[in-house]
Amino acid sequence: MSNETTPYKEILLKGIWRENPVAYQVLGICSALAVTVKMSTAIVMSLALTLVTAFSSMIISSMRNKIPSNIRIIAELAVIASMVIVTDEILKAFFYDISKQLSIFVGLIITNCIVLGRAEAFALANNPLDSFVDGIANGLGYSLVLISVACIRELLGAGEFLGFPIIPGFVYDAGYQNMGLMLLAPGAFFIIGLLVWLKNSITGSNQ
Amino acid sequence: MSDNTYDKNSKKNVIQFALMLSVICSLMITGAASGLKNLQLENMKLDKKANILKAANLINQKPGRTEILKLYKAHIKEGMVNQSGQPVDTETEDTLHLYYYHTNNVIEGYILPINTKGLWGKISGYLAFERDGQTVSGFSVFSHSETPGLGGEIENSWFRKNFKGKKILNSQNKFVSVGIAKGKVKNLPKNLQDHYVDGISGATLTGNYLSEGIKATLTKYEPLSISFRQKELKTLEQ
Repeated sequence: MSNETTPYKEILLKGIWRENPVAYQVLGICSALAVTVKMSTAIVMSLALTLVTAFSSMIISSMRNKIPSNIRIIAELAVIASMVIVTDEILKAFFYDISKQLSIFVGLIITNCIVLGRAEAFALANNPLDSFVDGIANGLGYSLVLISVACIRELLGAGEFLGFPIIPGFVYDAGYQNMGLMLLAPGAFFIIGLLVWLKNSITGSNQ
Repeated sequence: MSDNTYDKNSKKNVIQFALMLSVICSLMITGAASGLKNLQLENMKLDKKANILKAANLINQKPGRTEILKLYKAHIKEGMVNQSGQPVDTETEDTLHLYYYHTNNVIEGYILPINTKGLWGKISGYLAFERDGQTVSGFSVFSHSETPGLGGEIENSWFRKNFKGKKILNSQNKFVSVGIAKGKVKNLPKNLQDHYVDGISGATLTGNYLSEGIKATLTKYEPLSISFRQKELKTLEQ
């Protein structure tokens, strides 16, 4: 896929934009629907996923010459699952309220295909530092989509930005209403679909 | 198998690798879990207190730590009663726990812990009453594992605020508890509207379990509620 001389800028650009995990690789949609009702949860989820992807990619990459090929996936999952549990414990200790809101979805990072996908596709073939950068890049790419979706949903659905009401009262008086649909899962589907469309029309076709 | 190069797929190395990985991963998890335990317990305690305050309608959103502790100290007192509703000091097997909501030791209401089975796991919360022993003044959920967006809505303020003002006695002064309706309360017969709150669409089972749990708890605490109705409990003993 790539070689030892890949410059970091290239890896970053690829992960964040050109091969964006949600918009291009179509990974991690499940959690992107679930935690994007509010921006605060989306930001924490992004942060958690970015860190987990980066560190698990780095650890797996540093063991890539030792990992036996027939228990490869199990070994990768063991690393990822441990990272996620540690992240969850840290969230419970320092961001208790947010961890309560994210509830089950932090645990579901384990099954988030982005993490395993990057481990398989990149970390097994590249050195630890590159893999770390690749993890960060893909995490940021995911964050970009997640936070954009959350921003749109929170704004249209609740009239708020990061929890602060920003749509002035007179707009409501004039008959404006929050779109309840945006707070439900279908709202996220529409937004993600539109974002993928937007991204692909800027970068050109996938082929 | 040569002697100099590491063969990652040899049986010995596979087993060795698997063992090493398991040990390292479990050490990491154990380390994090036990190292952060105190902080987590602290957070849980604070959250419990915040939810007791929420049930008592002292706060709506969760304020900062000092504010919670200050309000809790000023207005909430933990207490125990026996099966017949008499306050006791020593804990026995069948003592019931509750929280008094007071202002300068004059009781304004009382808060009962609700622990019940939900659809996916335990639901723990608090139900607060006014000092007349029959009017609900608030409800809050401390922990649950219901589906986010469906049953999980029980912890949100739109659901919780509907409990305020509901009665657990009917017009003949008989105990009927308070429950979660299937659908909207306004579609129920008039005589039931005081005893139900709006249900959550898509979460009928969560509602049923919660109704059952509330009824079971209130039945247990009914002797205490009766002593409140008869105005036997007015102030806290110092």
